[in-house]
Amino acid sequence: MLHILEAGLRSTVQDDPRVAGARIGLPDAGPADPVAFRAARALVGERGGAAVEIVGLPFTFRSDDRRLVAVTGRDVAVRSASRLPGWIAFVVRGGETVTVIGSARYAYLAIGGGLDLEPVLGSRATYLPAGIGPVPRPLASGDALPLGPVRGLERAGVRVPPAPYGAAVAAIDGPHADRFGVDAVRAFFGDEFEVGPDADRMGVRIRGPELRWSGDDLLTCGVLPGAVQVPRGGSPIVLGPDAQTTGGYPVIAVVASAARGLVAQALPGERLRFARADPARAVASLRALGASAAAV
Amino acid sequence: MRAQPFGDSAVLIELEQRIDDGIVAQARALADAWERAGHGTAVPAYASVLARFDPLALPPEDALARARALASGTPNTSPEPAGRLIEVPTVYDGPDLDEIASLSGLSRSALIAAHSSRTHTAFFLGFMPGFAYCGPLDPRIRAPRLAAPRARVPAGSVAVADGQTAVYPLDSPGGWRLIGRTELAVFDPSREPPALIAAGDRLRFVPR
Repeated sequence: MLHILEAGLRSTVQDDPRVAGARIGLPDAGPADPVAFRAARALVGERGGAAVEIVGLPFTFRSDDRRLVAVTGRDVAVRSASRLPGWIAFVVRGGETVTVIGSARYAYLAIGGGLDLEPVLGSRATYLPAGIGPVPRPLASGDALPLGPVRGLERAGVRVPPAPYGAAVAAIDGPHADRFGVDAVRAFFGDEFEVGPDADRMGVRIRGPELRWSGDDLLTCGVLPGAVQVPRGGSPIVLGPDAQTTGGYPVIAVVASAARGLVAQALPGERLRFARADPARAVASLRALGASAAAV
Repeated sequence: MRAQPFGDSAVLIELEQRIDDGIVAQARALADAWERAGHGTAVPAYASVLARFDPLALPPEDALARARALASGTPNTSPEPAGRLIEVPTVYDGPDLDEIASLSGLSRSALIAAHSSRTHTAFFLGFMPGFAYCGPLDPRIRAPRLAAPRARVPAGSVAVADGQTAVYPLDSPGGWRLIGRTELAVFDPSREPPALIAAGDRLRFVPR
């Protein structure tokens, strides 16, 4: 069992997204920072399965038995008998109390053997608004999550480099970029945006140059996490994992899969810059991240 | 028709920019074809399909080419069979019933008759799990969305807005006009399938 002693604010169980649900209006869910999530899982030697997404550090836990664990995220560290940085696999002793600290908006805790939970609608990811997932609520102190068989202890000390937080966010021209003037598209990829206070798993509102678009309202169409929607005269919204599956605002750009965590982890008031990428290059960086995680 | 990348793991196929039964059916048929081909999930809407794929398994340029080929090969008039007919037992006592009746220049009973006497088609699902956009509404029913959405619309609310009707699957904020309610569970994650209404189904509201 994984015993949770201090649960943070809105920590949840997350897994690979529930992509097949999009057709019935069910959001993807899954991690807000997929690269950090997958790195944590890879560090402890798990190819699939669920991990804990921590929102609101500190987060304190203990395991009944000796386990390999890893913590990732932007600016995370671990405090137990000793102090460790994030993005490294380490062993906790049975009964040892471990606290994850730092300023990360989203931190990930993966455990060797994985969380032993049954998928719901194809995934163990939590979608809080509709109460979907094997643990369909925020984690609370006193919770105990069942674990799979102990494995991977020999991997202790393995590390991967943290994601490049703070770098420009790779994004691909959106399907409605032609609704915007050339100046608006240039401004999107050239100017800075400030992360607003409205930021959660549904989306992150950003403020910057006005991005005007013309013509009639769009017909509602399917959207997905990473899409940058621009309401008329409003601030752009970068959709997150819990975003609606359809939307009616033009999409000026779509954040590359490998860069979604850079937006999710940005704190209110921080500045973001978007760098234009093409789909092939975006996939190349996704593949490179997957390869480095697999190589550990 | 145009198909364009939607990020690195989807293609957006846009058929037209108007709402029409034939185009909606074509979008659904195209989404079915994409899923049958095993590329991934496809989300149809009024006149578009968001065709998703795993970019590590299917390179984006190949996905785009396949989407274009599929879209040009899908006939305009889809011979697909009509969906199931779902009856929705409805108590017409919503908080906006009288206002919508007066906006539409109908009596309360004429509004109820206008809403319950026609068969609506489920165009597509979106907004929230199990939420089916259905229509077209009797053109006499005038139902502009609320300028300020309600903070909480109860699950089971029967609503109308802008020529469409729907049942709210879950308690949620919402800007549609509430004319009634049903006890039918339109979304239940423990049921298979969890969404009661699928795109292409037909709905009839039955006054209770």
